[in-house]
This record gives sequence, C-alpha cells and structure tokens, in this order.
Amino acid sequence: MLHEILTVILLAPLVGAMIAGLFGRQIGRAGAHYSTIAGVAISAVLSFYVFWLYVFQGATEYNAALYTWMVSDGINFQIGFMIDKLSATMMLVVTFVSLMVHIYTIGYMDHDEDYSHDNPYYQRFFSYISLFTFSMLSLVMANNFLQLFFGWEAVGLVSYLLIGFYMKRESAIQANLKAFLVNRVGDFGFILGIAVVFVYFGTMDYKEFFAQLTTQKDVMIEIIPGVEWSMITVMLILLFIGAMGKSAQMPLHVWLPESMEGPTPISALIHAATMVTAGIFMVARLSPAYELSEVALSVVLITGALTAFLMGLLGLIQNDIKRVVAYSTLSQLGYMTAALGASAYAAGMFHVLTHAFFKALLFLAAGSVIIAMHHIQDIRQMGGLKKYMPITYWSMLIGSLALIGFPGFSGFFSKDSILLSLQATDRFGADFAFILLMMGVFVTAFYSFRMFFIVFHGEESEYVKTHKIKESPLVVTIPLILLAIPALLMGLPMIEPMLNGSYFAEAIVIKPENDTMMWVYNNYFHGALDMIIHSFVTLPVILALSGVALAWFMYIKQPNIPGKLKQMCPRGHYVLENAYGFDRLNEIVFVNGTRKLGQFFTRWVDVKLIDTGMVTNTFMAIAHSANGLRRTQTGYMYHYAFVMIFGLLGMLIWVLW
Amino acid sequence: MSFEQFIFYVLAAIAIISGLMMITVKNPVKAALWLVLAFISTAGLWIMAQAEFLGLVLILVYVGAVMVLFLFVVMMLDINMAILKEGFTRYLPIGALAAIAIFALMYMVVGPEHFGLDKIAAPAAKPADYSNTTEIAIPLYTEHAYAFILAAVLLLVGIVAAIALTLRRRPSGTVLYQNIEKQNRTEKSERLEMVKMDAVVEQPAAEDKEEEKK
Amino acid sequence: MNFVIPSFAPAIPEITLLILASLILVADTFWSKRFQNATYYATQASLLVAGYLVLSSFSVEQVFTFNDSFVRDSFADVLKLFTVAITLGIFLFAREYLVQHRFMSGEFFVLGLFGVLGMFVMISANNFITMYLGLEIMSLAMYAMIALRKYDGVAVEAGMKYFVLGALATGMLLYGFSMIYGATGTITFPEMKAVIASGEADGIVLAFGVVFVVIGLAFKMGAVPFHMWMPDVYHGSPTAVTLYLGTAPKLAGFAMVYRLLYEAMPGLVGDWQQLIIIISILSMVIGSIVAIAQDNLKRMLAYSGIGHVGFLLLGVIAATDDGFSAAMFFIIVYAITGVAGFGMITALSRTGFEFDRVADFKGLNAKNPWLALMMLIVMFSMAGIPPFVGFWAKIVVIEEVVKAGFTWIAVIAVITAVISAFYYLRVVKSMYFDKSEIQGPVEIISPALHWGVSFVAILLLALGLLPGSLIDLCYLSI
Repeated sequence: MLHEILTVILLAPLVGAMIAGLFGRQIGRAGAHYSTIAGVAISAVLSFYVFWLYVFQGATEYNAALYTWMVSDGINFQIGFMIDKLSATMMLVVTFVSLMVHIYTIGYMDHDEDYSHDNPYYQRFFSYISLFTFSMLSLVMANNFLQLFFGWEAVGLVSYLLIGFYMKRESAIQANLKAFLVNRVGDFGFILGIAVVFVYFGTMDYKEFFAQLTTQKDVMIEIIPGVEWSMITVMLILLFIGAMGKSAQMPLHVWLPESMEGPTPISALIHAATMVTAGIFMVARLSPAYELSEVALSVVLITGALTAFLMGLLGLIQNDIKRVVAYSTLSQLGYMTAALGASAYAAGMFHVLTHAFFKALLFLAAGSVIIAMHHIQDIRQMGGLKKYMPITYWSMLIGSLALIGFPGFSGFFSKDSILLSLQATDRFGADFAFILLMMGVFVTAFYSFRMFFIVFHGEESEYVKTHKIKESPLVVTIPLILLAIPALLMGLPMIEPMLNGSYFAEAIVIKPENDTMMWVYNNYFHGALDMIIHSFVTLPVILALSGVALAWFMYIKQPNIPGKLKQMCPRGHYVLENAYGFDRLNEIVFVNGTRKLGQFFTRWVDVKLIDTGMVTNTFMAIAHSANGLRRTQTGYMYHYAFVMIFGLLGMLIWVLW
Repeated sequence: MSFEQFIFYVLAAIAIISGLMMITVKNPVKAALWLVLAFISTAGLWIMAQAEFLGLVLILVYVGAVMVLFLFVVMMLDINMAILKEGFTRYLPIGALAAIAIFALMYMVVGPEHFGLDKIAAPAAKPADYSNTTEIAIPLYTEHAYAFILAAVLLLVGIVAAIALTLRRRPSGTVLYQNIEKQNRTEKSERLEMVKMDAVVEQPAAEDKEEEKK
Repeated sequence: MNFVIPSFAPAIPEITLLILASLILVADTFWSKRFQNATYYATQASLLVAGYLVLSSFSVEQVFTFNDSFVRDSFADVLKLFTVAITLGIFLFAREYLVQHRFMSGEFFVLGLFGVLGMFVMISANNFITMYLGLEIMSLAMYAMIALRKYDGVAVEAGMKYFVLGALATGMLLYGFSMIYGATGTITFPEMKAVIASGEADGIVLAFGVVFVVIGLAFKMGAVPFHMWMPDVYHGSPTAVTLYLGTAPKLAGFAMVYRLLYEAMPGLVGDWQQLIIIISILSMVIGSIVAIAQDNLKRMLAYSGIGHVGFLLLGVIAATDDGFSAAMFFIIVYAITGVAGFGMITALSRTGFEFDRVADFKGLNAKNPWLALMMLIVMFSMAGIPPFVGFWAKIVVIEEVVKAGFTWIAVIAVITAVISAFYYLRVVKSMYFDKSEIQGPVEIISPALHWGVSFVAILLLALGLLPGSLIDLCYLSI
C-alpha cells in the first residue's frame, strides 16, 4: 500500500505537467492550472500522510525498487524509493510549498506584457513548475545515486527553463545561461564523485554503499603520482562541489542572484525553498559517509561560513527587492552548510525546513508587492506601502522576523541550534566560522529590516503617490497566510526532537564524538520556552535586535546617513557593488579564456582535424565504397552464382588449410 | 583390374563425358539426350553398388517419364541456346580455375585418403534372394513415415505452386462473346454521340524517369 | 520387424495445420468466386488454431517422436508461437495490398500457410531429412509467392533468381549433409552429437561437410557472400511477399542454425565458429555500407536485413547457451521490427503506387505526423537507439560475443551499427525536413492497418522499455 502511495506521490505532478504541457492549447488556462494543482495537491495530501506515518507513527524505513531499467555488469539501474524521516519531511516541504506556489501563480502570471494572450505561456509555466515538483520529489525520494543524479539534473533543467522564462529579455537569457554553466561546473564534480562511488563501491544503491563504508574507509588513491589521498575524502569533496553548485556556495554562487530574472513564484519555489537546498539534503543523506572524513567536513564548514557572511554583506546595498531576498537566501544557505560541516546535520536540515517556509513567504510577499507596483522591483520607488497592503505587510514582517531569528519564530530555533552546535565543535576552522556566522546574524537583521522599512514605512515615493496601489487578490494572499503559519510556529514543537536527535533518528548517522547537537541538548537545553526567555540575554539575539535598530535609525530616523557613508568609504561600496569581483573574475578568466580556447579548438581541431580530416573523409570513404560495392550487384544471376562458388572455394581453403 | 572395376570405370567415364557434353552442346534437344545417357550410366553404377531398385527407378522415372516430358517441352518451345550461353567463353578460364580448385579440394577429402577401403570396409555381397525393395520399403513406411508424408506435402506444394504460376484464369466479365442478334438490332443512337469541343493541343507528357534498379 | 506406432501428440499443431491448409486449398476453389475474403479469414483462423494448440501443449521438456525425427521443446514452442503471431500480422497487412494491387488470390494465403507448416517442421526437425524437407516446403511456397503476380516481369525475375540460386544452395546443403552422414553414420542430431564427441568420425570429412552446411545456412539467412539474391528478391517481389520473406522465415532459419550447429555439431565448433566469424563480419560491413547507396526502401531494408544477420551471428559465434538465447531474442525482435517496417510500406501502398522509395517518405511529417512518428520508431529501433527494443537486441548479442572473448568483433559490430544509423536516419530526415513530392494526402486506406502499424511500432517502444520478460523467455527456452 505504501508503495502505491509513494508511486502516486511521485507521478501525480508528472501527469499534471504532461497534461498542461502537451495539451496546453486544448485545455486552456483554467484546465492547465486545475490539472497541475490537482496533481500537486494529491501529492501534498499523500505526502502529509507519509509524513504523519513516519514522524508521528515512527514507521520503519522503507527501501524498495519501483522499476528496474536495466542490469548491466551487475549494476542495477533502477528507480526506487528510500523513505525515512528525512525524505518524508522533505517531501512534505516540497509538495506543500509547491502547492502554495501553484495557487499563487494563478494571480501572479495572470497577464504578461511579453506575450500575447493566446500564447500558451501560462500553461507552459504551470507545466514547468509541476515538472519541477516531480523532479524534486524523485531527487528526495531516491534510493540510489543514479536517480539522485537524474533528479539533480532535472531540477537544474527546469530551473534553467524558468530563469529564462521571459525569453524575450536579454538579461533573462544571460541569467539562465549563467545558471546553467555554473551548475555544470558543480555537476562535473558531482558526477566525478558518483564515478568514484561506482568504481570503489561497485554499486549505486545508498544502502549497499553505506554498508561498504567501513571496509572502504582507509582506501588511498593517487591522483597526482606520489601524493596519496583518502579516497573517501576525495569522493566527498567532489560530491560537495556538486552541492556547492546547486546550493550556491562560494565561489559557485554567482548564478543565484541573477536567477531572480525568473518569475517570482519560481524564485520562491526553486531558488529559495526547495532546489537550492538539494545540496544540503544530499550531504545530510550521505551523513554516514561525511562522518568519516574530518577534512571534507572542514571544507564544508569553512565554505558555508564564508558564504553566510560575505553574501550577507552584499545584501546591504541591493536596491532590487528580489535581490535583497536572494542574497539573504545565499547567506542562509551558508548557515545550513556550516551546520553540516559541524556535524549538526539535523540542525542544517531543520534550518532547511524553517527557511523553506519563511523564505517562500518572503518571496511571495515580495511578489505581492511587485504585483501591486506593476512589476517595478526597485525599493527606492516604493515606500509607505503598509497602509495599502496590510496582509502583505504582516506576512513580510513575520517572514523577516523569522529570518533574523527573533525569539519564538521558527528561524530562531534553527539558527540558534546551528550557532550552538558550532560552539560545541572543535573541528578545524570552527572558531573562525563561528565568528563569521555571528557577524552574519547582525548583517542579516540589518539588511532585512532595511528593505522592510524602506518598502513599508519610508516616505511615499512619487510612484506610490501617483499610482493606485492596492492589496493583491485572494489567490495571492491565501498562500501568504498559509505559509505564515509554519514560518511563525513550526520551530517551537520541533526544537527538542531535533536537538536530541530523535527527530531524524536513524536517517542521519553521526559518530558519537561528533554529535554536537546532543552536547548542546545536554548542556544548554531546558525546554523550548526556556530557550526563548533565555535567548534575550544571548549574543545572537542581541546582535539581531541591534541590527534592526540600526536599520531603523539609518533609514527611518536619519535617512541621510547611508548616502554619507557611501561618500565616506567609496572603496568599500565599490567592492560590494561589484560583489567582490566574482563576476569580473569569471568574465576575464573563465569566459574570455574559454572563448579563446574554444576558438582555437574550433578552428584547428574541430574544423580541420575532425570535420575535414576525420568526418568528411570517413564519410567520403564509406560513400565511395558503398557506390563501388553496389556495382557488384549486377542483377545477373550467373554473377551471383559465381560469387557463391567463390565463397565456397574461399571457405573450403580456409577450413582445410 | 577385375572385370567389375573395368565396368565401373567405363560407366563412370560415360557419366562424366555425357555430363560435360550436356552443358556444352548448343542444341537443347541434344543436351537432353546427353542427360539421358548420364542418367543411364549412373543407374548402372547404382546397380553395381547393389542398389538395383534405385537404379531401376532412376531409369523408369527420370529417363522414362521426366526426360520425355522435358524433351516435349524443349522441342515445343523455340529456345535459342546460343544466346543463353553468351559469355560462356568469357568466363570459361576463371570458371575452369574455380572448378579445378574445388575439384582438388574435394579429391583431397573424398578421395581414398578418407574413404579408402582401409577406412571403410567394402560391404559383403548380398545373397541372391536379398530384396532391395523390402529393405527400402520397411524403413520408408515405418521409421521415416514422417519424412515420407512431408515429402508428399512438398509435392503438393509443388503442384499448387505450378498451377498457381501457370493457370491463366480470366476474371469473369472480361471475356467478350459475340452476340449477333444484338449486333443486328443496334441503332445509331446507341453507338454514336456528337460532342462539340474546342480544339485542344496536347502537350507531350514528360517521360517518367526510369527508377534505378541496381 | 518390431515397429511401435509413434506418438502423434507432440505433432498435433503440425498435423492440424496440414489438414486445415489442405481443406482451405480445396475450399478456396469453391468459395473464392462468391466470398472474396473467405480464404483470408479461414487462413487467419487456422493460424490461431495452430497457435492455440502450441500454447495449450507448451512443452518444457524435450519430447521426441516419429523415431526421433521430430523434437518438441520450449525453444521450438516459443519460436512457433512467434512465427504464428508474425504471420498473422503479415496476412493482415498483405490482404489490403493484394486488393489494392489487383491480385487478390487464395493461393497467396494457402501457400503462405504451407510455408508456415514448413517453418514448423524446420523448427521441430531432429534429423537431416526432416530439416531438409521442411526447408524445401517453406522455400517452394516462397518461390511461388514471389512470382504469383505472373504478368509482373520484375517479380517473375526475382522468383526465378531465388529459385535457381536457392537450388544451388540447397544442393550444397545436401552435399554437406551427405558428407556428415558419411562420417558419422547417422542422421539424427543427438546421435550425431554423441558420435562427434566420441572422436570416432573423420575430422577432415566433417570439416568439409560443415563448410557446405554453413553455406546452405548462410544462403537461407542471406549472409555475405551468399546474400546476392536478397536485394533483388526483396525489391522485385510484391511488397506483401517481401513482408513475408523478410520476417517469419528468419525465425525458422535461426532454428535451423541452432539445431544444426549447436544441437547436432557442437563438437565441430572449432570449424564452424571461424566460418561464422567471417560471414558475420562481412555481412555487417557489406550490409551497412551498401545500404547507404540505396534509393529504394525495400532494397535498403534488404541490406539492413543482411547487416542484421551479421549481428544475429554474433550470438552464434559465442557458441554458448546464452549466446544462442541472445541470438534468439535478436531474431524475434528483428522479425517484429521487420513486420513494422515492411508493414508500413505495404500499408501505405495503393493501386498503381508502391510507396517503396525513400523519396516517397519525404515530408511525411507534414502530411501525416502520426505515421511519421511510427516510422521514426521503426527506424530508430532498427538503428538500435534506446529506448527502443532494437537497442536491447543489439546489446545482448554484443554482450555475449564479448563474454566469449571476441571483443574485436564487438568493436567492428558497433562501428557498423554507427554506419548503418546513417541510412535509417536519412529516412527520418526525409520525413521531417524535406518537402513532400506527392500530391494529395498520405494515409493508410484501411483503419485496421493504421492501428496495426501503430500497434507494432508502439510494441517496439513498449518492449524497449520493458525488455525483461522477452529476454528472460529466450534465456529460459535454450
């Protein structure tokens, strides 16, 4: 029974996507959104049932194959499910957020200047997001690396399609190309990692892979002659490079801010709530392996901490409402990654969950503002929107408070448990990471509320004064309200099982000496309410509140300070404005270098050697021999008989001699 | 050389020579007659190998029935063998070479080295009352009954094929009969119709390209 | 003389088929004038009956009867079932063609039915004589079917060529049989195997005989250099007959290869393996290269068939149970694909228009996208592109030949597969990117055939997605 339910969960969005995508013109707009929403709703309801079964009923782990495509040389290529608390939770998050986004999209995509009304862009959009849901589900439900990789690439593909959804805009095309290429770099590492798994473990299946870890953990490999590396470490770092691409960790983060060229619902679903957390999920899923390599975990930890702080700083100077949220996403992904690096997988996943809800909420609220502003995204043109859009205002406030970790909100619990676990670990780089993350808390609070104050409280701009601004329709606000509830409340009941490890239980494996969360639980934790009360005297919350206060002071009380600051240290502003020069570096080294290399290969290797030398000449040779050989088919019977006789003669000689 | 051996070589020589003549003579009737001679000498060889029944059947069926029928056909059809054999001399050298090579190989295998008396002993002579016919008949109708029936099916298919390929059945309705009474009673109005037409100059139709066959 | 009447039970399908075929032969002369389709329906019904009889008495054990001249095993039953299924399809497609081209005649179906009987006999043959008789029954029926349109010079020429060359090949086959009989002193296969294994038979004579036997087999399967008849015969025959020639007899031909080489003469593997390697490589190379130069689709498919035989023989080269199982899977898949490919031409052909040139398929996508898609599936499957079943067929035989240690042959096979992809894709390119030269619509006249073509093509996709059961069936039956 469970098997059938899981199959339906996986396939329902695919069916919806196929109906909307293949028969979009026939079924019309309403048909497209009803069919896809129905598919995702079925998935969401059943996912909830599965979640209930696993998290509340404590069902045992389910691992089975759905379909075996082929068996080659003893390796099974199959589609299968591995369902435990980890994947059940992710399934619920994915389907729930996706459902909200589907509903929201009805309002958001209602009309579009880029397309005429009879263009089925609307159906196409629904088809894509349903397809995305299917891909993401197949990623999280996978029981083997092959399916993981399939889901991984499929979500990447849909992400590419959706970033470039406004295909008539130059910037959207540039952005989706960038996302695609940067992800290619990550995927290259990822597939190499899978190749290492395949070579050394001879299996694609998670369970078999985990079972062999103990026997394989001391294997050394020589990539550069003379230098030996631990195979496990190499494999894990390669896999993590994949995660860096998908979860936008430095230096592969450059695509995520630009992905904001896509429609806002997509930014909420793919580039905030679900797809970008795939890397985090993958690392958590492979926790038994990551536990075996201190080096790999240190790399993860430092990468995450750097991303969290440096990307947060960039959020300070953004003026595009979606970009502010995008940089906060980058920063929060850094937190999650850092948590993984501290062996606090559960904390990282916890933050994935809370972040999924409050970030989707923030994005959808931002989208709601954008709808009201008739697709203007510059926050300098907004201001004083509070009185026009109360629902959006309140949901944005809840989202922002959750984001900065205001005590009691969901983000508070997850972020605090990350910070506490970092304190607990003594892994290489942990102190450094802890300091970065602490500063990150302040920065996060500052830029979130900077945007919040400018948009909702600041002085009304010319645009707001001259245009009619009104609250968005119900299809937009209902998802906001539904998302605000978990963003507000979900941390409280979950913190205790998360910390003491009972939530994910056997789905995440941690070595006892690395179990930082348990240490936190034993030494600091005295109940969720106690945590809230106690928090007001701890550093993170003080930092967060001072960030809010500073934002208020600088943008409401004394709005001329930012301009002066900019004048005072132009160099600092310049660095931030250019995002530390990553884009410049990429352009000069990688883009131009690659282009030069490409030109060389095109001109000499491709055109001369391969095209002319090999392809054309081979083809000519075959064509000539074909024409020559067809002449032997003369049509005369005695010629044919002759050939047979000579065949006989040749064979007799061959055998008898 | 015993008398038996002498007879064997004579018959064998006749069989080979008549076979060669059969494929080289120009006149088809003569070729058929040479074939008859080849059959007869082969029948003689079989009889020497104590397969009297088969030898007689060869003469009765092949010489007596098949070849006579064949001669009728050949004589009734005017086939010009000279044309059919065009190119014969052109391919003779290479053909002969192949033939000799194959013969050499066959001689190596089928020759005395592998089928000599030291390898396979000569069968003992059968007594005078030994019945060839019974010896063939009993396994034919018992052990090989299945094959025997299959051979019958094969002949049936042959008959069906021959009839299907040669029977010229006119589809009913296309055969025309003369109806004199109707012809006499016919009137002008039934046969003739006056039509007014503009002068039309017909364009010569472009010849369809012959499809490449080879 | 003690003679026990043999058990008829194992041969019930053959006996029934013979009786029904003979009845239809006689009945056809009576009812053909009044009911045009009576013979057709009777033929299909007989096939169904024969298929049912095979299925209902499906045999897992080897059963011998008629003094060991007949064998019934799961190998035979599986092949017979596929022969019946494929012939049903052939007749379905052929009827409309015969009507369209004005030579609808009962003889076609009767001869076809006798041909199936011949195939059954071959598949179940357990000695040289029955093997030979089955082969001749089948071949004779085919010669006649080719020339059935007796006013069509090309068809008659094709029939004549096939007949004469076939006689030559049969002569060689019989010569080989007699050599092996001379060396072993037996005609039944299991005894022959035992005698050869004992080492008493003369090795040179056996090797000599094997050459002739292999040539006979190579001719019947259409392998290079005994393939010359195939393009002319496939091209010259009416398409309905080509459809028959190119599919069902291949199964029987494979059965003949299996029975003769693997059941009777596994001891001579050293001799025939080398010959098969040569034939196989030549077939793959010639088949794939010469097909490129063809404009006529039937001719192209003939060369493609030659190339496919080369692939089939890869499984034979392996000379193991698994190798023959792979070859069996391959040939079944090839026969089904052949029904789809030739069936497509047959179904599209109309009065006065054969629709068999590659150029006829130009722009098909614009005129009839569904048919173009079906043809695309057929072409992709033949080219061995996943996920269509042709891919699996190629991969299993290549896998077996690699397992047998002939990696270099596998490399050649893959290269020829790549070359052959060219001409399959050329058809696809014509359909999708060229402009049609035909006025008016392109469609299949009878809706039944439309669904028939679609069914077979989709079957190729379905089998490609779920190849497991058919592969298992083949691996279990040998």
